[in-house]
Amino acid sequence: MSEGMNRRRFLTVLGATGGGAAALGACGVDPERSQKLIPYLVQPEDQVPGTATWYATTCRECPAGCGLHAKVREGRVIKLEGNPESPINGGRLCARGQAALEGVYNPDRLGDPLARGVQGKLERISWDDALAQLHAKLAAARGRIAFVTGNETGSFGDLVDEWTKAVGATHVTYEPFAFEALREGNRLAFGIDAVPWYDLASARYILSFGADFLDTWLSPVAYQNAFARAHGFTSGRDVTMAKSVFVGPRMFLTGMNADEWVAATPGTEGLLALALAAVIVEERLAPLPADAGRLHELLARHAPAAVAGAVGIDAPAIERLAREFAGAQGGVALAGGMATHYPNGAEIAAAVNILNYVAGAVGKTVRFGPNQGLARGTFRELTDLVTAMEAGKIAVLLVHGANPGHSLTGAFWQAWGKVAYKVSFSSDLDETASAADLVLPDLHPLEQWSDSRPRAGVWALQQPVMQPVAANARPAGDVLLTLAGKSGTFKDYLQTKWRPLAERHAHGKSFEEFWPELLQHGGLYVDVPRQWVRLGPQATELMREAPAPPRFAGEASDLVLIAFPSAALYDGRGANKPWLQELPDPVSKIAWHAWVELHPETAAKWSVTDGDFLLLQSPFGAVRAPVWITPAIRPDVLGVPIGQGHRAYGRYARDRSFNAFDLLPEAPNAYGGRTFAVRVAARTTGEHRFLASSEGDPRGVGAGEDIIKVLPRATADALAPTAHPFAEPAPPAYAAGALAGWAEEQRAGAALGNYAGKQPRWAMAIDLARCTGCSACVTACYAENNLPTVGEELVLRRRQMSWMRIERYWRGGEGRGAGEGGEPLHGVVTPMLCQQCEAAPCEPVCPVFAAYHTPDGLNGQVYNRCVGTRYCANNCPYKVRYFNWYNFAEAGGEWEAWPSPLDWQLNPDVTVREKGVMEKCTFCVQRIRGAQNRARLEDRTVLDGEIVPACAQSCPSEAIVFGDLHDKTSRVAQLAADPRGYHVFESLNTKPGITYLARVVDRGA
Amino acid sequence: MRSGSRVAAGIALAMATSVPAAAQSGQPAPAFTAPVISDTGSLHGPRQPIFFRHDVHAGQNRVPCLYCHYSAAISSEPGIPSVQTCAGCHMMVGGSTPTYQAEIKKVRDAWNHKAPPQWVRIHALPGFVHFPHLRHIKALGSESCTTCHGDVGHMVQVYQVAPLTMGWCISCHLQKQVTRDCLVCHY
Repeated sequence: MSEGMNRRRFLTVLGATGGGAAALGACGVDPERSQKLIPYLVQPEDQVPGTATWYATTCRECPAGCGLHAKVREGRVIKLEGNPESPINGGRLCARGQAALEGVYNPDRLGDPLARGVQGKLERISWDDALAQLHAKLAAARGRIAFVTGNETGSFGDLVDEWTKAVGATHVTYEPFAFEALREGNRLAFGIDAVPWYDLASARYILSFGADFLDTWLSPVAYQNAFARAHGFTSGRDVTMAKSVFVGPRMFLTGMNADEWVAATPGTEGLLALALAAVIVEERLAPLPADAGRLHELLARHAPAAVAGAVGIDAPAIERLAREFAGAQGGVALAGGMATHYPNGAEIAAAVNILNYVAGAVGKTVRFGPNQGLARGTFRELTDLVTAMEAGKIAVLLVHGANPGHSLTGAFWQAWGKVAYKVSFSSDLDETASAADLVLPDLHPLEQWSDSRPRAGVWALQQPVMQPVAANARPAGDVLLTLAGKSGTFKDYLQTKWRPLAERHAHGKSFEEFWPELLQHGGLYVDVPRQWVRLGPQATELMREAPAPPRFAGEASDLVLIAFPSAALYDGRGANKPWLQELPDPVSKIAWHAWVELHPETAAKWSVTDGDFLLLQSPFGAVRAPVWITPAIRPDVLGVPIGQGHRAYGRYARDRSFNAFDLLPEAPNAYGGRTFAVRVAARTTGEHRFLASSEGDPRGVGAGEDIIKVLPRATADALAPTAHPFAEPAPPAYAAGALAGWAEEQRAGAALGNYAGKQPRWAMAIDLARCTGCSACVTACYAENNLPTVGEELVLRRRQMSWMRIERYWRGGEGRGAGEGGEPLHGVVTPMLCQQCEAAPCEPVCPVFAAYHTPDGLNGQVYNRCVGTRYCANNCPYKVRYFNWYNFAEAGGEWEAWPSPLDWQLNPDVTVREKGVMEKCTFCVQRIRGAQNRARLEDRTVLDGEIVPACAQSCPSEAIVFGDLHDKTSRVAQLAADPRGYHVFESLNTKPGITYLARVVDRGA
Repeated sequence: MRSGSRVAAGIALAMATSVPAAAQSGQPAPAFTAPVISDTGSLHGPRQPIFFRHDVHAGQNRVPCLYCHYSAAISSEPGIPSVQTCAGCHMMVGGSTPTYQAEIKKVRDAWNHKAPPQWVRIHALPGFVHFPHLRHIKALGSESCTTCHGDVGHMVQVYQVAPLTMGWCISCHLQKQVTRDCLVCHY
């Protein structure tokens, strides 16, 4: 039975019944007996009531194009997980990808087409009228039409290309972060306009110039997974752990996880790269390519001594880095993120290419061939369009998948007014859509057919996983085909595009046979041969001027402001999703608000503290931003996240904080990209605001060395497989007797009733050498366990409900959190969740036995028994119990977390908790029971690895392993015996079920 | 896990396309004949939009429970049969009496007008209880539905027999010497 046939059938059937997805197993708090049961008219073949059906599709939340498995229950998608078959993400998924669910069920989604009425307001209109109106406008405006789309690498982009060509329009691709500098840098160095694939997984040294590949850069899930493989420490591994170095004025998540942070002067990353190359060539540290001699003059000008002053790093340190990098024999240098967002970003990218070239990385860890699939647009194309709009040369402007109204707040808006007729395909009333004359709501990517090519050799298919939530929205592809007078739907168009591809790869199967297979696998994945590159003619012409930082626009202020994409909200597209708003930023730990980062020195100079407002003024605009003081930024640099400050978009995004885009130039730079750094003047405003931050939360376990353990590389390497350096010393004599008595009592208790016989002990191992703090697990937990988002005010009152939280602490360095043995500044993270203690302090204090110990070693929490004394939370040393202070599920209530249809995303396998009830991590007990039920049905025992809690499933770096501790062959039992293993607060004798594996840091010799 | 659910869908399809065992095998006349009902007002249980006779289907005609509620054995939810399942027989079977014919017409109308009937729910558990039908069928057999639902095969109109309280659940679990752990059902 084929998936594809099922899907089609399902859609036809439900289409015919008007979307009568059954009301069985509806996820209310308490089903009323008067509830009606409405059966399916025709039972979809691939849906079993009470059992999830999974569909493979593709994530469209950023250009990375990760493969998805969408979990569908009773016709509703309730969870997104990575598609294990996808060569991009291999089954893992970041927080933003998972939050696509809140796009489908967003309460502010548009259901009907809107047109600007006589009074200037957007009013509901029928599709027929809307299309007739648009048709007329298009016919009259022939030759003066422009179409702006987001990054479209697949058939929809092809369709837009064809359509624009047919109607004499221009097609402009606009992504605020479009990697122009990388493409230009590769053209400068190698004469090739492409972004290669970086083989981080087999790299032995990872030197990142600004590339925040753990947050947002290119393909964060893929690169995080590869990073964990290379940089994670595994005892007894023959391939050594790759050292990781991050260069940039701000640490970013990638810098926090690096072994060394090099805080170079902003814009001098390229100088540093060339200096490293110069040392490698000078000292013959690597077998040099034949044409490296051409670089002689360029590298001679960039000897360490010549650039040290500008970069702000002394020459011996540069030489040491060069020797380490080349000596690792298999390093990779990356340029990206901030380093490629300066006015000289392309030159920096080219300089890093040259470093890779002389170190022999090109062709090995830097592979052209399987290139990143990026639409060809540049920022310059958009600004050219703005100029044409301003000049009145555009009469009709169509916008799809982009929100220039948020990212271009100056010239674009002036030009916008000069366009007579603006059309938006947005399914939300974002800034652009709410100022348009016609809004034709598109379906969500999870509801429609499409495809994308995230990397050469990867054709990712996108199929509808459920009936549209907004029933009257239409796929933009269908609308375009209608406008073009073509018959058929976009699905037909898509299949036409796939036919030739399928013919080449179907191995004799017919398309009709092959198509369902493609859908089942999520697309087509083939190996692409690597392409060898040589130095291009322009490579030697780089950086002619004397080594110095670039000139940033702005007054002669000595402060450079850098604006970077928010890890959760990206360029702002995630701002209307409560999961992403409530997710504390992995670095700053601030939720629901933007901030400006200040070094403690700067803060002291200005006498400001966290939450004090600064008025930041650049030549392009001004914003008021609350201060967050952090040692992880250079003293002469201010940092602001992009993503907040929406003037429209929806209830969670609107009028929240400031828009960092306001400060940035709107003219393209030398390489046709946008510059995200600018000089600013700052002054205090006297205003103050408490930031909803989980930093300093009294729940936190603290930065203590005994809680978050970090081993130097040499110590970790020297650990014998049987060593237990973190084992607690034996209890003193006076306690030994009590402990023995207690153990005896436990044994007696364990022989009774349910507790008798052989039982599993569910346990977890978390490898801190792999965990990066990216927080994908946090969102996974929200999705799986029906955790309510509580909003900014309640986060401020420490009432967030994150069963799983990532605690981040600074160690070493100077300023806040300083003083530990003169170590350089570094960040440490630890996921903190219920430790499922064997001797749990929460259990004996519960007066009603709501907190109790289960036979399989869980700390049970029975919601219907809980009376809310909160004794358990008070007695929990880990502070991982969360109390429902309000009724978050109450429809229309003050603290409603799931305004309709957001409640559709609730997991029917997990109780929605009510006010007055304590809750906490359950180790995803619903997944344990599900696996046990399946095993029972198949007359077998549960296999190791069969139960995967949501956090472990999503973790891009595979840091979390779950299983039965009593099964000595299980992965978790082996990891629990690892020499790096330890328990948090082991001295309390709680005997936690979670074993942490110490982080390992390579500080060099 | 995923392939498991696909396999499960396959089983469901196979069951749905087969014909009821009793109807197929030409067995001797049924031991039980469903009574003729003149006064529906005096019947136990809530009145349903269609006077569906479990006693006729499951009792007299001996259609196995799992023929219609096919997912009870493979899923946590038993499922309510789709209108297609009813129509599969009743486009042919028109009913022997005017009463039956009138009710069967409602089924045909539901199918033709694509308007599924809105059954009144009889058995409901609170949201904090998870009852996996599959495990109970697996342990007690496919005829064990009566343990909790009563002798539906002899009910003219279905009503709740068991109290479905926790104490009632536990008494059976005690008797059968199986788990009484809270977190088996409450999570």
